[in-house]
Amino acid sequence: MKNRSQYILFVVVVLLVQVLLLNNLTFSPYIAPLAYIVLIIMTPLGTSPLKMIVIGTLLGFVMDITMGTIGLNVIATLPIAYFRRPILHFFASYIDMDGEGGVPTQLRISRFHNYVVAMVVLHNLIFFGFEHLTTANFGFLALRTVISTLISIAVVYFFIGIFTAKLTQR
Amino acid sequence: MHKLIYFLKKIYIPFIFLTVEVMAIYFYSNATPYSFSRLSSVSHYICGWSGSLFTRLGNYLSLKQDNIALNERIAELESLLANYKALYPQTVETELDLSPNMYVPAQVVSKTLNRSLNYIVVNKGIDDNVRIGMSVLSPEGYAVGYITNCSQNFSIAISLLNTSFNVSARLSDDRSMGTVSWQGGDIHTLRMSDISKYANFEAGQRVEAIDFSEYFPGGTILGTVESKEMNDDQTMYSCTLRIAADLSRIDNVILVDNREVEQVRILKQEPVAAPTTLEAVNEDTINQ
Repeated sequence: MKNRSQYILFVVVVLLVQVLLLNNLTFSPYIAPLAYIVLIIMTPLGTSPLKMIVIGTLLGFVMDITMGTIGLNVIATLPIAYFRRPILHFFASYIDMDGEGGVPTQLRISRFHNYVVAMVVLHNLIFFGFEHLTTANFGFLALRTVISTLISIAVVYFFIGIFTAKLTQR
Repeated sequence: MHKLIYFLKKIYIPFIFLTVEVMAIYFYSNATPYSFSRLSSVSHYICGWSGSLFTRLGNYLSLKQDNIALNERIAELESLLANYKALYPQTVETELDLSPNMYVPAQVVSKTLNRSLNYIVVNKGIDDNVRIGMSVLSPEGYAVGYITNCSQNFSIAISLLNTSFNVSARLSDDRSMGTVSWQGGDIHTLRMSDISKYANFEAGQRVEAIDFSEYFPGGTILGTVESKEMNDDQTMYSCTLRIAADLSRIDNVILVDNREVEQVRILKQEPVAAPTTLEAVNEDTINQ
């Protein structure tokens, strides 16, 4: 129960930071960090695929409403939520996801960094690819994707650090 | 029944995922005109690509029947020609020369695609009856370019992918005319401008060369309409065309000498004998 309340608090904090702070960084068009994907990354291991689809859709929908991008965040977040299990399995095939439960952490997954980076990169590629929908001005698109992805990874690690420090691990 | 239930249980999660994803793409595509336009063009591209794949596959599988039909047709034409030669031995060669078009098959020796002024070099020249102004078509009969310079054995053609090349064209169904040119950038699309605002056309309609075009035989397909938009002052349409011929893969071409167009071109160059100004007409009347 304690873990659950901490997870809910974590969700609220991440969404508030994303909506109130990260969405309003307007000093450069190259910087658009999407750190809310940390909520998918840190979803408990035993979460069923159906629940992952629901979580991904809801998260994308909430972000679409706050960012004014109808459908774009759902397009990017849903595949990440759906394919999280195979991605996690790729980096940590030894983990029994349904049996163990708990959130993925560096202590439990040896290639945790690879997992986090892969999730953020995939999410950003889909998001910015669909946002631009053209290869014209490719330099701008590539630079915006790379810089935003790097900043997103940094912010995601910041959230993971807070979350894993506060959460009672099983 | 059990198998059906088992199957549905197995696929319902991917099915839900795909359904929600497709719905999200649908909503996103309708959110702004830009996303609608871009996703529509991607959709048309995928449809066109898959359609062309199936067409090619179908063509490949029907090659045997096509060969049989072609052999039968050749035999029929050979016998017809033999009869014709027997009846009119003196006139056959002359009449063949009177056909409006002369065709010369050629191979592409080199080509450029990454410049603003792209060209194609073919392995036929003056010795093969190639001359400046001849049309260059793909083996399927689609427009590729026109000859601008010839040596004894080689010729250079300006391709459609040349920013200095403008050609008059019309919509195949609507017959409205416009000017087709290449704006640079994408090597698969052209721009057709100055189309009447009353023109009724949609994506997918073919664009062809006008009759007595200076560059291509009338009716030669240049491409198909991909998207259209009205200009800022709401007087003319412009549209993006997908080039019919795949210029990035073209290896063989057909050079076409349109003799009727050449006659018109010569006529235009000759000095006009009739008075052309009002003063000249008045002088003629006074003299009479």
